[in-house]
Amino acid sequence: MNAALAIEEKAAAWLARQDSGEWSPADQAALDAWIEEDMANRVAFLRLQSAWSRADRLAALRGSNYGARPSRLLVGRIAAAVAAVAVAMGGGLGVIKLVQPGHAYSTEIGGHATVPLRDGTRVELNTDTQLRTSISADHRTVWLDRGEAYFEVAHDPAHPFVVYAGPRRITVLGTKFLVRREGEGVEVAVVEGRVRVDPMRQEHAKPAVLTRGDLALAKGEATLLAPPSIQKVETALSWREGMLVFDHSTLADAVGEFNRYNRKKLVVEGDAASKVRIGGSFEAENIDAFARLLQQAFGLNVEDHGEEIVISG
Amino acid sequence: MDPRALDEWFVSEVLPLEAALMRFLRRNWRTEADIVDLRQEIYARVCEAARNAQPAHAKAFVFTAARNLLIDRMRHARVVPLEVAVDLDGWAVTVDEVTPDRHLTARDELRRLQAGLDQLPARCREVVVLRKIEGLSQREVAARMGIREDTVERQTAHGMRALADFMLGGAGRIRRAASGSKRGVGQ
Repeated sequence: MNAALAIEEKAAAWLARQDSGEWSPADQAALDAWIEEDMANRVAFLRLQSAWSRADRLAALRGSNYGARPSRLLVGRIAAAVAAVAVAMGGGLGVIKLVQPGHAYSTEIGGHATVPLRDGTRVELNTDTQLRTSISADHRTVWLDRGEAYFEVAHDPAHPFVVYAGPRRITVLGTKFLVRREGEGVEVAVVEGRVRVDPMRQEHAKPAVLTRGDLALAKGEATLLAPPSIQKVETALSWREGMLVFDHSTLADAVGEFNRYNRKKLVVEGDAASKVRIGGSFEAENIDAFARLLQQAFGLNVEDHGEEIVISG
Repeated sequence: MDPRALDEWFVSEVLPLEAALMRFLRRNWRTEADIVDLRQEIYARVCEAARNAQPAHAKAFVFTAARNLLIDRMRHARVVPLEVAVDLDGWAVTVDEVTPDRHLTARDELRRLQAGLDQLPARCREVVVLRKIEGLSQREVAARMGIREDTVERQTAHGMRALADFMLGGAGRIRRAASGSKRGVGQ
């Protein structure tokens, strides 16, 4: 469909092969022929070649901490570990500033961290989340690799704030919204402002534009828009207070939520127990209290095995 | 121009206009998916023409080619959006505002490369860091990362495309040509 991209892919494959050092005169002849074949090939090749040789300048960073650092991810992990320890010592869900201004941030299971970005944006990471950022004077980009994050984006119409979350790209100017990844799916909930959600794969698909109270569930090619409800959005954000809020949720779904926050897992056995409907607000980390409640209010069997708590009908 | 001079002219005079050219195309053409094809076509046309005689002013030459191509395409399109036609009439003004992204200082260039590097997916970034900063060969990169050499080669191809895009004023992200395309470079 995009002829130019196909040609560019080919040009990049040639250059990468050349870069590998395994390059024979026959390869060179084949490349020359390809370049001569079409002016489009020639310009695509020149364009990539010039950029790749400009990138040699990066060698100036050798010995700097950039080159020496095994990866930025690791810096983020260390920072997160420090934060996790701080959370453990603080004994709660206090708002923690990550000590390292690294470009990757992550939280452990049960973790919760607030990250101030350079542009004034605030990001709150929920449990078991990994996020990478690239913020500079001319662009604002974030990748949500895993988990869930709430964004309060500093308003800057000239530089859209872009979040990449699996199969979706989310673009905003300044607003408050939530992005959650679960497997291949992405959930976006908007508290304030306007948010645009684009699929990453289809070039021609229409973007979904969300405003306050909108909640979109995107999976594969489909984007499902729920009827606007600011209350639902607020419920989705209750983790910020360390709470889980359920309204007629099945026990299976509720347990799934609890298990995101705790190493000790809840396990539901039996169809009847899985389908029990529950509602109310619970502390995300207090699964013992939740289990006791199931026993007392619903008459379910609860067995604590140390690593996990088994609930059955 | 002989082929070598033509290549040099393209790299030193035309490519630095890419960011401005892309802005011009985006402003005047609605279908985002067409933009890279348009850019490619303009580069090819410009080089074809420059074969015969080196243009005195690359900027005017490139933007005239861009404008002509858009007009061509519009003649073939069934519906021409009004604002496109209006904008094209004022194109001369646009060209005067264009400043090529050429005279980057070494430090600016390095900073930009670093920002481009930060945009890459983690594994691809690590390949480029080991290759370009640490100066390892692709084979050594594969050994260091414990991945296959052809994976390193693929990541290298992807990394150079993203870096090129970023260095020339783009967002530094790469789309695939089409789903299911042959042994894709890229992810």
